[in-house]
Amino acid sequence: MLDWVIANLPLIVAIALPIAIPLVLFHLLPLLVLMERRGAGVIQDRSGPHRAAVNLQLKSIPGIFNDAVPGLRLRAFGMIYNVTDLVKGLSKEFFIPPFAYPGWYVIAPAIPVMVGVLTPAVIPWFGDMATSVGTIHGTIFPTANGLLLLFALSSLSVYGVVLGAWSSNSKYSLLGGVRSSAMMISYEVSMGLAVLGLLLIYGSFSLQDAVTWQSTHTWGVFVQPIGFLLFLISLFAETCRNPFDVTEGESEIVGGYHTEYNGIRFMLYMTAEYLHIAVGSVLIATLFLGGYQLLPVPGWDTDWLREHLGKVALALSIVTALLLFGFVKLILGRRTHNAAGHATDREVRVREYGIYAAAFSGLAIGTLALGGLAAATLWHNPVPAAGAFWSPVVLTVTALIQFHIIIAKALVFSWLFVWVRWTLPRFRYDQIMDLGWKVLLNVALVNLLITAVVAKLIKEAW
Amino acid sequence: MAKVVPRPELNFWERIYFIEIFKGLATTLGHARKGLTDPAHFPTVNYPEEKPELPRDYRARHRLMKRADGSPRCVACYMCSTACPARCINIVAETSPDRHIEKRPVKFEIDLLLCVFCGYCVEACPCDAIRMDTKLGVMVHDNRADFVIDKTKLMDWDPKDYPVDDLTSQSAPGGARHADALARLQSGSDH
Repeated sequence: MLDWVIANLPLIVAIALPIAIPLVLFHLLPLLVLMERRGAGVIQDRSGPHRAAVNLQLKSIPGIFNDAVPGLRLRAFGMIYNVTDLVKGLSKEFFIPPFAYPGWYVIAPAIPVMVGVLTPAVIPWFGDMATSVGTIHGTIFPTANGLLLLFALSSLSVYGVVLGAWSSNSKYSLLGGVRSSAMMISYEVSMGLAVLGLLLIYGSFSLQDAVTWQSTHTWGVFVQPIGFLLFLISLFAETCRNPFDVTEGESEIVGGYHTEYNGIRFMLYMTAEYLHIAVGSVLIATLFLGGYQLLPVPGWDTDWLREHLGKVALALSIVTALLLFGFVKLILGRRTHNAAGHATDREVRVREYGIYAAAFSGLAIGTLALGGLAAATLWHNPVPAAGAFWSPVVLTVTALIQFHIIIAKALVFSWLFVWVRWTLPRFRYDQIMDLGWKVLLNVALVNLLITAVVAKLIKEAW
Repeated sequence: MAKVVPRPELNFWERIYFIEIFKGLATTLGHARKGLTDPAHFPTVNYPEEKPELPRDYRARHRLMKRADGSPRCVACYMCSTACPARCINIVAETSPDRHIEKRPVKFEIDLLLCVFCGYCVEACPCDAIRMDTKLGVMVHDNRADFVIDKTKLMDWDPKDYPVDDLTSQSAPGGARHADALARLQSGSDH
């Protein structure tokens, strides 16, 4: 079995990767929604989502649960709301307004989601693996023009918005759609110019090359700090997030482009918004923060990681376990707080937090055990001689670690999206256009000019 | 004349807005940190499971005070229903068998759907017969008729939930000072 797996490894990965990566992104969505709700709560001094729960009445187990001790209730930190949202969206009537153009109205919400699922295809999730049976690419669609493809795809998502807005046949929807397209055009320019400076340095359109350059030199954010900020601001505008969320506005244009949408079609638009946040976060991590590389140290590339796999795995598992134990401490704080309270369901609350604490402690210990196992078996792996290959275990573990690194970086940026949304007031529409055309564009042009001159001089000097 | 509200003058660093963004982010991060690590600082109360501590003078559903023998203190003087801006109190009086008290209520109804919980009835009452200190802020019934509460419901309260001197603290009929006065009256020492 194992021999067969190793013999057909590239084929298996080639089939599994295009299915796995969008699935992973979809699994990030509940986390992002939870982050948004909980983040909104704690930033505004509220408690956030805390009602929807899975109730388990396990009274039949003697000694543990009886009539005096009520059952189990799991709220999963508000994660249950995602389930209820989905059930609600799916159980609503598939209503099409009588004044809408039915065909386009139905198709439109699918376009942004489709784009959100397609864009991860060009992002390198782990370093290329050279095996005895051929190379496995960390990119689903390895191409030299990955960045161009990415921009082409992400520009398509506005079609879903504009098409939905137009086919709704309502003035509020149309206004939202027009705003969205105008913002897209304005900020696509400065976004492209911000990346151009980076491209001059990397010397390639391939995202894989971008990560490789960053692993041999330093992260893009250090060579292009202004480009990074420009790209970040443009990304906020592209995803129509606060402070650029003029495409929807209760006080001006009701719900904006999705005014006439309801049920699961409305939720598709929401899904697309969060998918874009996830993809945008991964993209900015790839372009500016070294992608799947661990730290901005020159020479710490994929082969270095494979060589020192055991040490890195141990260090990462310790860091992860510390973070998890910190989380357990927060949970225990909640538990103490609830135990001291006067709620009628105090028992259930205390038991609930106890279970969370136990689960996350177990997770932390499991992480430590995995790290220890990796350290014991893969402490030092000699670089294979020319013509030879790394063992499949080393390659697979490296790929998994790199994948988790890029997801972790992306989650940090996803939090930034949430954080900024609940901090800044939204811009007025004319202020957005002012910022886009009069500030960002000029700064991006000057940045590009300076980058070009400096890059040329440095390359001449070498 | 329109009042001119002076706008605070922004300095250069505030006008470029960029640094202010980071200040704002620091503020919200502080709140987020506090919210995650210190659950006690939330003003939120998980309502049905946790009840907020209501202030002593919170105006909730009414109750009718009782004399020592359990009859209502109310003398059916109509002061409360006269004071009521919502006209939600409906009293029907009859002659009291007690010769010291002129009238007593046969019917004392409050329509809680009309009531605006202003507390004027409590202030108007000359003998402290009606109070709004039950702390019953939430009333749930499935038909309108149940929101009209009668004398029995208004007098259905447990003395354990209220201060001990509740029954005897007042000078109204049934109260301690009234009892003293009655005793003096009966013994003839008042004259």
